[in-house]
Amino acid sequence: MKFDLSNIRLLDGAMGTMLQRSGLKPGEIPELKNLENPDMIAAVHRAYIAAGSQAVYANTFGANRRKLQKTGHTVAEVVAAGVKLAKEAAGEKALVALDIGPLGELLEPLGTLSFEDAYDQFAEMMEAGAAVGADLVVIETMTDLYETKAALLAAKEHTHLPVFVTMSFDASGRTFTGCTVTAMAHTLEGLGADAIGINCSLGPVELLPLLKELRQNTALPVIAKPNAGLPDPADGHYDLKPDDFASAMALILQAGADIVGGCCGTDPEYIRALQQILPESKPAHGTYIPRSLVCTPTVTLPIDRIRVIGERINPTGKKRFQQALLENDLDYIVDVAIQQVDAGADILDVNVGFPGVDEIAMLPRVVKALQAAVDVPLQIDSASPAALEAALRVYNGKAAVNSVNGKEESLQSVLPLVKKYGAAVVGLTLDENGIPDSAEKRFAIAEKILNRALALGIPREDVWIDCLTLTVSAQQEQAEETLKAISMVRNRLGLQTLLGVSNISFGLPNRLLMTQTFLVRALHAGLTLPIVNPNQKEIMDAIAAFRVLNGEDAQSKAYVARFAQAQPEAKPAAAAFTMTLDDAILRGLKTEAGRLAKEALKTEAPLSLVEQHLIPALDKVGADYEKGAVFLPQLLSAAQAAQAVFEEIKSVLASAGAETVSKGKIILATVQGDIHDIGKNIVKTVLENYGYTVIDLGKDVPPETVVQAAKEQGAKLVGLSALMTTTLPAMEETISQLRRMGAAPAVMVGGAVVTESWATSVGADYYAKDARAAVGIAKIIFDK
Amino acid sequence: MKMDVSEALRYLGAAKADGETLQAVEQAAAELEASITPRFVYKVFSVGLAESGILLPEAGLSLPGRLAQSMLQACNRAVLLCCTLGAEFDRLLRMAQARDMAKAAVLNACGSAYVEAGCEEAEREIAARYPGMYRTDRFSPGYGDLPLSVQPGFLAAVDAGRRLGVTVTDTCLMLPAKSVTAIIGLSETPQPARIRGCGYCALKGNCAYRERGTSCEI
Repeated sequence: MKFDLSNIRLLDGAMGTMLQRSGLKPGEIPELKNLENPDMIAAVHRAYIAAGSQAVYANTFGANRRKLQKTGHTVAEVVAAGVKLAKEAAGEKALVALDIGPLGELLEPLGTLSFEDAYDQFAEMMEAGAAVGADLVVIETMTDLYETKAALLAAKEHTHLPVFVTMSFDASGRTFTGCTVTAMAHTLEGLGADAIGINCSLGPVELLPLLKELRQNTALPVIAKPNAGLPDPADGHYDLKPDDFASAMALILQAGADIVGGCCGTDPEYIRALQQILPESKPAHGTYIPRSLVCTPTVTLPIDRIRVIGERINPTGKKRFQQALLENDLDYIVDVAIQQVDAGADILDVNVGFPGVDEIAMLPRVVKALQAAVDVPLQIDSASPAALEAALRVYNGKAAVNSVNGKEESLQSVLPLVKKYGAAVVGLTLDENGIPDSAEKRFAIAEKILNRALALGIPREDVWIDCLTLTVSAQQEQAEETLKAISMVRNRLGLQTLLGVSNISFGLPNRLLMTQTFLVRALHAGLTLPIVNPNQKEIMDAIAAFRVLNGEDAQSKAYVARFAQAQPEAKPAAAAFTMTLDDAILRGLKTEAGRLAKEALKTEAPLSLVEQHLIPALDKVGADYEKGAVFLPQLLSAAQAAQAVFEEIKSVLASAGAETVSKGKIILATVQGDIHDIGKNIVKTVLENYGYTVIDLGKDVPPETVVQAAKEQGAKLVGLSALMTTTLPAMEETISQLRRMGAAPAVMVGGAVVTESWATSVGADYYAKDARAAVGIAKIIFDK
Repeated sequence: MKMDVSEALRYLGAAKADGETLQAVEQAAAELEASITPRFVYKVFSVGLAESGILLPEAGLSLPGRLAQSMLQACNRAVLLCCTLGAEFDRLLRMAQARDMAKAAVLNACGSAYVEAGCEEAEREIAARYPGMYRTDRFSPGYGDLPLSVQPGFLAAVDAGRRLGVTVTDTCLMLPAKSVTAIIGLSETPQPARIRGCGYCALKGNCAYRERGTSCEI
């Protein structure tokens, strides 16, 4: 049977349920039955085909490297056996899908499996299945959009087969990892799935509203493969009989499902019942509404109103940012992101292009770090197609790309990436001849970019046009041309328009006023995606006002809330009290501490500020903590206030081109196999704000990585944490490898299950019972 | 669902806190209760005895050691329970750590108390489902001599991966991080409280409370 998408309407039912009935024991790996008891598997396939299944899922769901590692069988062997069995059973009567389920291990940042490793594991399965002639690939029961993306990319890059993808949601419309139906639809359609849908975890009744949501968000064929109702919590039996299942599925079909089947608890009787209610022809479904949208797994952002893009993640002209990039200080970049989100940015532009920075390595690292810390869609900004691709690959959700332009080289290198990774793209209205001086010519370039995108299959709602701002003090007449071009693109092409506005005021006094005025005019002309510095209150004020005037902000609610908050607080009578820097740190007042430090740095040297104020204040909080007079939150608040002081110091030093102050380098790591790292992170916060440079290797860190970092950094102190008895051996091994180094660093250990006597017995130099104790140890090492 | 705020304070090492700290914990608890509900699954198995100790034949799971044996000796059935705050909590905690470590420490403590509240809720449901049966104390892998190595088989027996999204690492750690597995024995005869107190606690050699001459009062 040849694959033809329009022919497939009825899939099979559960495999696991059938195998349990045939005597599969708990703890057995079902996929091994492909080798041990092929008749058992073939019988299930034959029963489904007899019931009417047009495609059956081979018994390869969990045949991945991790699950098979201790079985003595390879992935290729088990997958090939499963696909071959299904093909023999199917003959010419049905198609055979290579079935791919979750790896059973959580990906970063939830777990420790890297996106790249997940991709490799899936690729191995894809190659094995394609080699023996699977007709299609099915990726199913997924709950993590990131893992799903790894599997889908592996399918597209390692086979030429059509790919169906289904994920599992709970009744609230989210997966276990928080992914929404809408985010799934836009991400997976963008990545080139052939059909998408929902399977498992719900019965057909609960699935109906989710299916409707899915139908509205994709133009692809939609799959529904629910369970036989809901399971009894105590014994796991499902509550729908075949006929009830089929009746509920009739509504799913009416709602626009194209391809149906069953999951847990269903058997050939359910499929037979389903076949009987299947309408003769596919229902015409016209509920899909194309719309501009970017997303993360948990946040979808339709561009159906003005959306603010934050411009601050960009090293151009920012010494402190450049230094952070060169020092690999991702925490600083994350802070810049958080500030913008808190100030109202909807999307963050991410640019790390700077001499000395390897963008191809850095851009994906920054994208991963940002996605772990803030939940807004990102706009990936680079002049390097290779860096764009590296970042698009690891982005979780649907991103935007900044940018393509009218030059042939750019169109040819950037648009295929946008298509492959399903992103939105910013088109700059310039070409080989530079930026045209008339609105008409810029419009013509916009149209050309749009047509080239459409020709590659990029939908028009994903093309955003930047009509480019020129400096009004140099080219005054160009301001009008930019505005006119925005109107033309918006009105004639119906595309989203994007504009970085601050360039307008370059070289003029009171830049903010000029920028603000131009911004308002551009919004009026049809700008939907202003790129601004959201930390500039006046800019965001103007946008808030505009949102009232254009009707977006119904009843001016957001506007009123914004300015109600902004009322200056009446100063209390006690204002006579003048707060010192020491007070601010003691009380954990971050903003105040930063402000006072900035003031103090005008007259005081950075090092003296640290030695005379910061450390004595932290010591006092630390002593109070030890006495039980204050608790962990206050200790950490004080540390964070100290961080604000350090930030001021760093920025003074960066603008003077001087090196950062540091009292010494300390390496911290949560040992291999251990994933609980909040304790280590608490220690890091406190140590850093005592002035030590902490190199944080993260969690699940192999001993070799710790040793290598200790060598490279020449750190005198290494801190290791472990939280579980099962990971203590890894701590011991790490210490033993560190001991074998020439000039071994001192080692301190800590964590819930670590005791002082155990620490001594495995050769650690110090036992740190908490963050405060770690500071004491650091003082011994570095102050002697 | 409500958590026990005093338990969260204990996890924070601030049992006696008042004022600011108490307020911070109460606020974090309320926010957490509004945004996440603990989810749980449980399944009932018959209890058998093998040479190595307790065996749950339908689960294909053996529970070695004295703890399981003394807890389940008078029980003909045992409930395996898994409760989790899910990946959503880990996400919130990760984002909180990037913003404000003090708040993150508070949230972390609240998460531990909240997943326990989920277990309590599950236990109430189980109690209602088996009226007339007596329940043992709830005990978990990692307590006493019941090893963490039973975790993968335990999670497979209740299908926690598919039904809750709970996974286990090669080192037998559960992810999402705020996940708990527990065993409750069901018996025809009244069951004494056995495992409360330090004697059964895996942390007894290294407990901050004991060091100060107090206990966590569990």
